Amino acid sequence: MFAHLLSVMIFLPIVAGLILLFAPLSRTTARIVGFGVSLAVLVLSIDVYAGFSATGKLEFVEYIPWIPSLGIAYHLGIDGISLFILMASAVLLPMVYVLFGTREKGYYANLLLVEGAMIGAVCAADLVLFYVFWEVMLLPVFFMLGLYGGPRKIHATLKITLYTIAGSLLMLAALAYLAVQYHALTGEWSFSIEKMGLLDLSGHAAALALFGFMIAFAIKIPLFPFHTWLPDAYTEAPTATTFVLSAIMAKIGVYGVIRVVMPAFEMEFARYALFFAYAGVIGMMYCGLTAIAQKDYKRLLAFSSASHMGIIAVGVFSMNVQALTGTIYQIVAHATSTGVLFLFAGILEERTRTRTINDLGGIASQAPIFALFFAIAMLASVGLPGTSGFIGEFLIILGALKFNVAVGVLTGLSLIIGVCYMLWLFQRVFFEKTKTASERFKDLSPVESLAFVPVILLILVMGIYPHPFLRKIEPSTAQYFAAATPIVAQATTATPALAADLTTEKN
Amino acid sequence: MTNDFMLLFPVILVSLGAIGLMLAATCRCVQIEQAAWACGGLFGFAFLVQLAATLTGDQALYSSLFNDILVVSPFSKAASLVILGCGLFTVCSSLSYFKKNNFSSTEYYSLLLFAASGMLLLTMTRELISTFIALEIMSLAIYILVGYDRDNVLSTEAVMKYLILGAFAGAFLTMGSAFVYGAAGSTKFALIGNFVATTGFLSNPAILAGSFFILVALLFKAAAFPFHAWVLDVYDGASMPITGFMATALKTAIFAVFANFLLADSGLQQGWVTFLFYIAILSMFMGNFIAIGQSSLKRMLAASGIVHSGYLLIGLVALGSQPVPGSVVAFYLAAYAAGTLGIFSALSYLSGKGEQWKNFDDFKGLAKTKPYTAFAISIFLLSMAGIPPTAGFMGKLYIILAAIQAGQITLAVLGIVSSIVAMWYYLRLIVTMYFHAPERSFAEECPSRIGTVSTLVLVLCVFAISLYPIAL
Repeated sequence: MFAHLLSVMIFLPIVAGLILLFAPLSRTTARIVGFGVSLAVLVLSIDVYAGFSATGKLEFVEYIPWIPSLGIAYHLGIDGISLFILMASAVLLPMVYVLFGTREKGYYANLLLVEGAMIGAVCAADLVLFYVFWEVMLLPVFFMLGLYGGPRKIHATLKITLYTIAGSLLMLAALAYLAVQYHALTGEWSFSIEKMGLLDLSGHAAALALFGFMIAFAIKIPLFPFHTWLPDAYTEAPTATTFVLSAIMAKIGVYGVIRVVMPAFEMEFARYALFFAYAGVIGMMYCGLTAIAQKDYKRLLAFSSASHMGIIAVGVFSMNVQALTGTIYQIVAHATSTGVLFLFAGILEERTRTRTINDLGGIASQAPIFALFFAIAMLASVGLPGTSGFIGEFLIILGALKFNVAVGVLTGLSLIIGVCYMLWLFQRVFFEKTKTASERFKDLSPVESLAFVPVILLILVMGIYPHPFLRKIEPSTAQYFAAATPIVAQATTATPALAADLTTEKN
Repeated sequence: MTNDFMLLFPVILVSLGAIGLMLAATCRCVQIEQAAWACGGLFGFAFLVQLAATLTGDQALYSSLFNDILVVSPFSKAASLVILGCGLFTVCSSLSYFKKNNFSSTEYYSLLLFAASGMLLLTMTRELISTFIALEIMSLAIYILVGYDRDNVLSTEAVMKYLILGAFAGAFLTMGSAFVYGAAGSTKFALIGNFVATTGFLSNPAILAGSFFILVALLFKAAAFPFHAWVLDVYDGASMPITGFMATALKTAIFAVFANFLLADSGLQQGWVTFLFYIAILSMFMGNFIAIGQSSLKRMLAASGIVHSGYLLIGLVALGSQPVPGSVVAFYLAAYAAGTLGIFSALSYLSGKGEQWKNFDDFKGLAKTKPYTAFAISIFLLSMAGIPPTAGFMGKLYIILAAIQAGQITLAVLGIVSSIVAMWYYLRLIVTMYFHAPERSFAEECPSRIGTVSTLVLVLCVFAISLYPIAL
């Protein structure tokens, strides 16, 4: 439609958010403006989606030199991998404005800022630009959590902030290393993410840089053992923040692994893939088991989200086209199911004023629509056939089995844990006897129901007819394995190297 | 003649202004405010002149003056730009500071100009004697400025400490110069460099000892480990604007002469790389650990200045790998100066009479009562912490790039680790300002307009330096 679509999508929310922060407006105006802007972004994103032709290369490219002497540029573009994360954030954010009306002005403004920054991080095709948006993304979360969070908000805020900043600073060193290596190889300075694919790094320094990136992304995802900030932050944060963190921001961590780490560190990545995959499996099991024991439903959902992110991570580290495609698919599925469950939890908390599972019960008879929607999202999150979660998880397990039988089997097994805590949660909250807290639970209003309908539809459509979505994803994921030296081919040669490495570490 | 005049114009302007103001101070008819405006105007004008000279490139035929004693390079131009900018904003924050405190006089502004002229000379000098003279012009003015509040015990303590230790540093510099002269037979950096290149660095004990003494003096002035102990008390005792001036302009001048000295010959720099390597690491971590424990904001900023000296030393270690020598250091200095000056500019009008509010706890809930100021301070802190898209981030990125490019991966990684630690105390103030309930109204501080305007301009600077990195 017009030339700078991606830039508009990034800076429209950021500018609007800044204006909201500084202009003396009422909270209703702020809410309306926020809703309007996020809707506008949604419309633009649909335009992008329609215009996206799935060539496997970057599309909608914008390129403006920024610091020519170092080859840093304002370089944007999207492919099949970033498109879906972009769509997820554009589709999901307007819902927040509809559902939560009693918040302060700064809350709505920060949501816009975080939306712009997330879209920016996903669209960036330059490492420095990516890093800038990656860090900017954290600031609104910091303020939302610290200003509008629960009783232990300061503790949670400092924990998430220090954790993530520590990770991203390590990434800064790693990306500087990449750029210097690229300079050494070609004699020109560049921070273009695409060009980093030309590098084939190995050796100790490369492994260090790989871990620099991986720690940053693992903290954001969060991957075991870097998940300890998550329960505090997810539980103390206001609903919209938890939603943003779980539905989109966690995915940008995965996206970073796919976009930056896999192409640049082919050999080293293959060497450590099994190690990371096991980290994913352990996280999945561990968080799943912890979720069963939770008494607070928001905390339970927090662990469930982390557990499902483990599956997505396994998909990335399995290094084949099925698993990678499944990962992208599952990213959207997770955002629309587990992410949306946090919105339901927010509504539940607002209306019953409690987060303890045992205080609730019998909501299904009070609020059938709420229960129905919750059930659909929940079933999608556990991967019931016919919902979006099934397709993604199926592809990931298929790919994981192909990569390593043990990883595949364990991934499959851990899904059962997911079913356990989810169904048990549903039973305790929605069935059983009505308790005092849930006695007067009001069902969703028509407007609220309407806000959820698109997501519920999306879950079902993606579950029943995945082809149109897969068609957009596959060219880009296939690109990863069709290059001159495909990553998969090295996996077989590199796996023994891992085993050797592990034994030396034990000595 | 015209050529020399063009190159020296900012220095001439500033030093003539200093003398003029000092003379004018004897006359009763000159108001303090007028002196301040004159001083600020001079800084501003000199800044613009220098900016024009920097942007238009090399108009001058020769870049050296007085038989190569002073040399104007892109690096010295950038450093003097930073110094002049610092001077301008220091005048602005002094104006708002002295609305509450009344120990200012016309000479105060004259001394600022004197200090600045010494600093400007330091950026250009390529010779040891003139280094000493410039350093002393600057230091003498700074000593007086530190102890300007004569009724304040802390201020007196600060000036005593600084004067005695600073005198030692000056003595070290002279002794080092004498040694080096004794060995190399010249005090010019270029000739010393030639001498080192022909005879080797380690083979000559006089050169070794001499350059060691010179480094000690410079490290002392730059507040690097292990010569950092004076910083906390001196910064704490000096008045807010002067602390800001010392933290930024003085550091810029010292690092400029430091870089020029090391650039004289790669052998000299190589000889000291290992030494500077450890100094850089220890400065960063020592500074961090000191900063974490502070409850006074001013002392925290002083300690964080030690950390930033550490980063700048990384830049010096990696001097060889920079496209234009010193450009990374100059950029980092500019970025750091914008952030630090900004925070001192805001504190100048927030701290109240006699600086009664300068602890972390005094700023609880500032965001509720003064949202714009709190926002500005947050931006400055984020810049000092190196969070994009602020200038501090770009500075850090260049430093890290240069370090890795020079093969100093350990140094780069330790720099990163240190900035992770540093996040804690920068975030602490933001948390205090935003997430705690206000304990006092801050209403009594009705800031003068100049204070808020200069703070705002500095916020813009922080972003502008990052988005348009002209120094490179």
